[in-house]
This record gives sequence, structure tokens and C-alpha cells, in this order.
Amino acid sequence: MTAFRDRARREITAEHRSATLLPIMRKLVDDSRAMLARGPADARASAERARADAVDRLEPLHRQLREQLALRGIGYHRAATPAEAVQIVRDLLGNARRVAKSKSMVAEEIGLTHALRQDGIDVLETDIGEYVVDLEGRGPSHITAPAIHLNRTRIREILQRAGAPLQSDDPVVLSQHIRDVVARYFDDCDAAITGANQLIASSGRILIVENEGNVALGVSHPRKHIVVTGLEKIVADEAGALAVLQVLAPSATAQPLTAFTHILGTPPAGQERHVVVVDNGRSRVLADPRYREVLRCIRCGACMNACPVYRSVSGLAYDSPYMGPIGAVVSPLLWPGRRHADLPFASTLCGACTEACPVGIPLHRMLLDLRADAVERRQAGSSAERAAWRAWAAAFRLPPTARAAAAAARLSLRAAGRLPASILTARSGPRALPEPGAPHEPALLQAAAPDRTNRSVIAPAEVLPPSALDRFRLRAEQLGVTFPASAPPRALHLTAAAAVAGTGSVLLTGSPVERRALLAAPAVAFAVDPATIVEHPAALAPYLRACDDALILTGPSRTADVEKVIVRGIHGPQDYAVLLEPPIA
Amino acid sequence: MASVALFDPCYLQALRPGDAADARRVLEALGDTVTLIDGRCCGQPAFNSGFRAEARAVGRQLLRAARAHAAIVTTSGSCTAMVRHYLPGLWQPPRDRAAAAIAARFVDFATYVARHPALASLPLRLPGVVVLHESCHSRRELRASAALEALLGRIEGLEVRQPAFAEECCGFGGTFAVKQPEVSVEIMRAKLESLAETGARIVVSPDYSCLAHLQSGAAGLGIQLEAWTLPELLARALG
Repeated sequence: MTAFRDRARREITAEHRSATLLPIMRKLVDDSRAMLARGPADARASAERARADAVDRLEPLHRQLREQLALRGIGYHRAATPAEAVQIVRDLLGNARRVAKSKSMVAEEIGLTHALRQDGIDVLETDIGEYVVDLEGRGPSHITAPAIHLNRTRIREILQRAGAPLQSDDPVVLSQHIRDVVARYFDDCDAAITGANQLIASSGRILIVENEGNVALGVSHPRKHIVVTGLEKIVADEAGALAVLQVLAPSATAQPLTAFTHILGTPPAGQERHVVVVDNGRSRVLADPRYREVLRCIRCGACMNACPVYRSVSGLAYDSPYMGPIGAVVSPLLWPGRRHADLPFASTLCGACTEACPVGIPLHRMLLDLRADAVERRQAGSSAERAAWRAWAAAFRLPPTARAAAAAARLSLRAAGRLPASILTARSGPRALPEPGAPHEPALLQAAAPDRTNRSVIAPAEVLPPSALDRFRLRAEQLGVTFPASAPPRALHLTAAAAVAGTGSVLLTGSPVERRALLAAPAVAFAVDPATIVEHPAALAPYLRACDDALILTGPSRTADVEKVIVRGIHGPQDYAVLLEPPIA
Repeated sequence: MASVALFDPCYLQALRPGDAADARRVLEALGDTVTLIDGRCCGQPAFNSGFRAEARAVGRQLLRAARAHAAIVTTSGSCTAMVRHYLPGLWQPPRDRAAAAIAARFVDFATYVARHPALASLPLRLPGVVVLHESCHSRRELRASAALEALLGRIEGLEVRQPAFAEECCGFGGTFAVKQPEVSVEIMRAKLESLAETGARIVVSPDYSCLAHLQSGAAGLGIQLEAWTLPELLARALG
């Protein structure tokens, strides 16, 4: 067992993580804030309400979900422990030998890939970032950007070591190489495993967001699709799921929505689908009023993006599938042993995490409670430290002279070895003030140099077109969608059930939506009736209630898994065209 | 003309012994009568380290010392946040309510002065340039940013520069700096770079804890940066 401090020191001195992470995360935090501001004013409040409600009614919602899934012919399995979860998946896989897996934090939590490989099953990580960190062998360093700790040079080295003939370290080349490996694997595999973002209790649908299209391939696997997710990933209804969606991608990656939002209804004919719900300590957390709110978490990663400690040491220093502030809270809650007991101390308590959390989890307050728990359980605080705090408290109980206490405070601060020594002024009594110390150097007030701060130019407030149609067009065009007079040649023609002005998205519905046909098409033309354009995703609720399977498309597939550089066109066509029907005169 | 208590926190007593006298000068210039309370410490170092019994023992003495006062001005943002938001929670009901009643009367120096009715007629003048580092506790726990900005804006001739990424932590975090010194210094380095880029040679903050950390770091990195507390700045602006 290593201590956080040792791992952190290694990441800082040997890898200098902040050189890569600090600029990326600073930009991401700014962009996320701007993207949230673009959405509805009540987005955070609605998302927080939806998640708080789900946590309050967790078990009744699971009963409803189970019934609804059964009506759709989808299996519901509950696992109390990681071992149980792995065994359930093993049984469900049957004689499958080749399994395509997409990103799932819960699968990391239960060690699924490793366990299946030990059984001799070939498991491919199909998310580009996961593919890279799987080859590297150290695991993901961020919950939404697994390979964010690696720069393009390192990624190319890792891929080359695995035998990839790469001529360049261009993120486009690297991403497309992995895309091709993954696409070939999907042509010939026995089953697909995905995670889930929310299970919708009222209708038994499964919401999964992704950018690359590997999940689209997984959920449409012709024979078997297994969803592995956590007990808390449930929401009452479509309105709640949409409320979560409105903050998820903006907080995670500063996108309006991810390229694909799957709202899975009835599975494709011939496909067997199962949902494996993992508890692994979540019921225990639910029963503890100090920590139950952490079950609201939607795994967006906004807390780690904003965290000064995370930015300095990367996710690898946390030695847990969950890193950053949320990792420092949930790791010791899910695994109460000594291994993660020092993570709550890996925070300056600056509160940036709590401020960034879109569902109102008081993360830094939970870190304080977890510190007290660790001390109480004797998992933190050496006997020397315990004695020191007792002495400290005793010093402040001495008769009313601030001297002893101040000396104790001063000595403990100086023990850090880095704080400036100062002369302790003897006081005659606590109510007597010393005169102000030696004056500062007032000349320094005048000695200022010009301000060289590189301030990002604040863009003038965007003037949005007055009509919903024009706003839809503006947002869709920003994502690379075109609005031609006629469909591109060889385009697959699809009719959108609705469109979203604020995000530039189109909604496809079906029983089920033909995902594989969509991905195989060289181009897609979406017929959009301007009368069906809504302002924000939340307004899609009636359309979702009226359909079975649904897919919200928000620009063509893309990835940003290499240095957060956006590479468009991963799985599926890059050419999205919208045809307005009826055409506007 | 009000009667206020002044709480001079332990680490300021030890490391910045003149700060309380400057705070008193400013409050008296506003027409207040100032009583220094025998408060010593809010208990935060132990509380942040998970040692709640010790924090409670120390915090109890502060609340006792404060009991008789209607307003207790505190010259450190993080101590104010500790008292207001966390100290009462160290007692079980109903004693926590009694603690909360006293804790609610603690107010940070910036907020108190910014809201003071006599501030408008107080002449404050200090030509020069400083850079502001608002502490995380002042910004997020006390939400004192607007008060702070208004207060600094009252000082004639003073240019207050804002660093890039102003909302980022300095890396101190109390005992964090002792327990995780490597991470603490890594965070501080980024903060010092932003502060230095503004060209100002003096950094002002409502929390001396951040300042002590930054000042020692600046010395180590060879950056010329002097730290002034808010009371020190205002007292000098009184002339």
C-alpha cells in the first residue's frame, strides 16, 4: 500500500502532470461555464432536483424499473459485491469469447475487464481513450477523458509498442487508427458491454451518452448487449433524465450534448439485453445522512476539472477508479479499508469542487466529515499527530495569556519548514495590542510593472436569431451540420421526430432506431419539420413519452481523447445534412 | 458609533502581530469602540485534520469569549468561515443552536467595513498598485467578493489588479501544506505566476494564511512580492 503523498510526489516530479493538465483544465472550466450559461437558466436546479428525488426514492424506483424492463424483455440483475457482479456478467456472456466493451466506470470499479480476460475471454476497450490506457496498463486518469494524462507523443509510443505502424502523432491519425481497430472488432464479436448514464424507471429505458459511436455499435449488437451500472444511476422519468442531460455534457466536456444520446427502448429483434445493477456499498452510503447526497453524482468530472490537487497530480495518484474530489469522497465510502483512507486529505478544501458540481453535492464538506471518520477509525493520524493535537488543544486552555498558544501555533506552522519565521511578540495580556510591526516597503506600491496578464478576450454577448429555426440552424452549423437545398448524394434519408434549437440536435425515434444503418451510411439527410423545433432538451419530454427507442444526435461523431483536440468523424458518417420540410418559403 | 469586538486569530497573533492594531485603527476611524477578545483560536487546524474533539475544546473558548458581544470582527476569512459554518456543528442539539447563535455574530473584516455606514465619509487614499488574492474561504464560504471589491474601490489612487484565474486556490489549505507539501507547492507555483504577471509587487488578501504561504514561496522562487493584509492596507490608506 502506498500513500497518496508518495504517489502524488511521483506524478509531480517524474511526470510533471500540471504541464499537460493545467492549461487543458483551465480552458475546460471556462468553456463549461459558458456552455452551461447557454442552456436554460434553471438547468442546474432542475438537474439537482431530479437527482435528489431519485436518491430519495431509490428502492421504489428500482422496483418500478425492474417491472418496466421486464415488459421490454430486458433482464434486471442486482449485484451486492464486485465479485457477484462479475459472476453475473460471466453467466450472461455464456460462451461468448470476443466482447466489445465501451467505457463504464462501474466496470472499472468491479475490475470487469481484468476478470473476464482471466477467464480467457478476449475483451476490447472500444472507447479511444480507454483503448490507450488499457495498453498503457495504468488505468484511466479521468472519468470522462481516460488518457488525459498522456500527450500525443506518449500515445503514439504506446500504440507503436503494440505494433501500430504510425507515421505521425497527429491526434487525427492516432484517433483514426484506434477507430479502425475497433470497427474491425465490432464486425466479429459475440457480445457488447456498455455502461449507462441513467436508467429511466417510469419507462424502463436506458440513457447512455457518447461521442465516438462505439456505444451505438455496442447497443445495437445483433445478439447480446449487457449494461453494467451503479445502483444510483436511476432517475424517475423522462423529464428527470432530460434535466440531467442538460448539465451532463456541458459540465463534462463543454459540449451542448454529446454526439449521441441513446435512450434505449425495446432491443433490436434477436438481441438479448440485460442490465446489471451494482451496489458495492451504495446502500450503505444511502443509509448515512452525511453522505447520501453523493449518490446524486452523474460522473461528469466537473469537480476534478476544477480541482487544483487533481490538476497537479492527475487521476493516477488517487489509486482508485474514481479520482479527484468525487474520488476522494466515494473511494473511502465504497471501500472503507485503509487503502483509500488518506484520499479525503488530498484537498486544500478550496471548495472549487462544490462550486462546479452541477447537482449540488457538498463535496468539500464531505471531505471534512471523512477526515474525522478516518481519525476516529484510526486510519489516519499517527500517534505522534494525535499527541500533537492533544497538546495543541491543551495549550489553548492555559490561563489568559496568548503566549503559550501563539507559541504552539507558531511552532506547528514552522514545523512545515517553509513558513517564514517571525519574532513572537511577548504580550503583557490578551487585551493589549502590540504596536504595528515594522512598516512594509511602501515603495513597492509604486514599483509595479505593466500588467502582462494574458486575458482571454471576452467575446461580446452572442446575439441569437429571433426564430427557433434560425437558432437551431446556428447551433447545428457550429457542429458541422449543413443545410443544403437538396440531400447529398447517396445519403440515408431519415425523418427527425423533433429538433432542439439550443443544442443543434435532432431526435430520431423507432422500434428500434436503426443505429447500424445510420453508422454505415456515407451521409445522412434529416428531414426536420420546423414546427417540431423545441428550445432546450427538457422540452423533448413529450416526444420521448410518445416513442419507444430514441436517439438524439448532436453533430457527427467525434473524439477529444488525445489532448482534448477535437477529431470529427469517428464511427459513422461525418456528413449530416438537414432538409427543412416543409421547406420555408 | 458602534461597539465591536475584534478577534485576532492565533496565527496572526504569532506571525503578524501588528495586524490587529491596524484593524483597530481602521475600526476606530469608522467611529467604533473596539474591544479585543481573548479568543485565541477557532479550532480550524484540528478540525481540518479530522480532530474534532480538540477543535471543539479550542472553539468553545472562542465562543465563550465572544458570548457578550453583538458583533465580532475577525481579521481572517478562513477563521470567520470556520466559526460561522462549521464550529456549531461540533455540538449535538440543542447545544449546537446556542453555539450557532454566537457564531452568527462573527463577521469578516472586509464585509464589516464594506457595510459600515461611516465608510462613505472615511477618507482613504493610497496611490499605487496592488494585486488582489481573494481567498477561497472569503470567495466561496463567505461570499465576500462583492464587499471586498467595493471596499478596495473606495481607496483613492489605488489600482487593484486581478490575476488570471483569480478563483484558483493558492495551495495552502492549512495542514494540507504540511501533509502534502509537494502538491501544495505545485499549486502555489501556478498562483505565483499569475500574481507576478500582473506586474504588482504587493499582494493583498483578506486571509493572511494564503499570504504567508505565497510570501514564503515567492522568496524561494526569487519573485519580488510583498504580502499585505487588508487591515494593513486600509490603515496605511488612512494616512
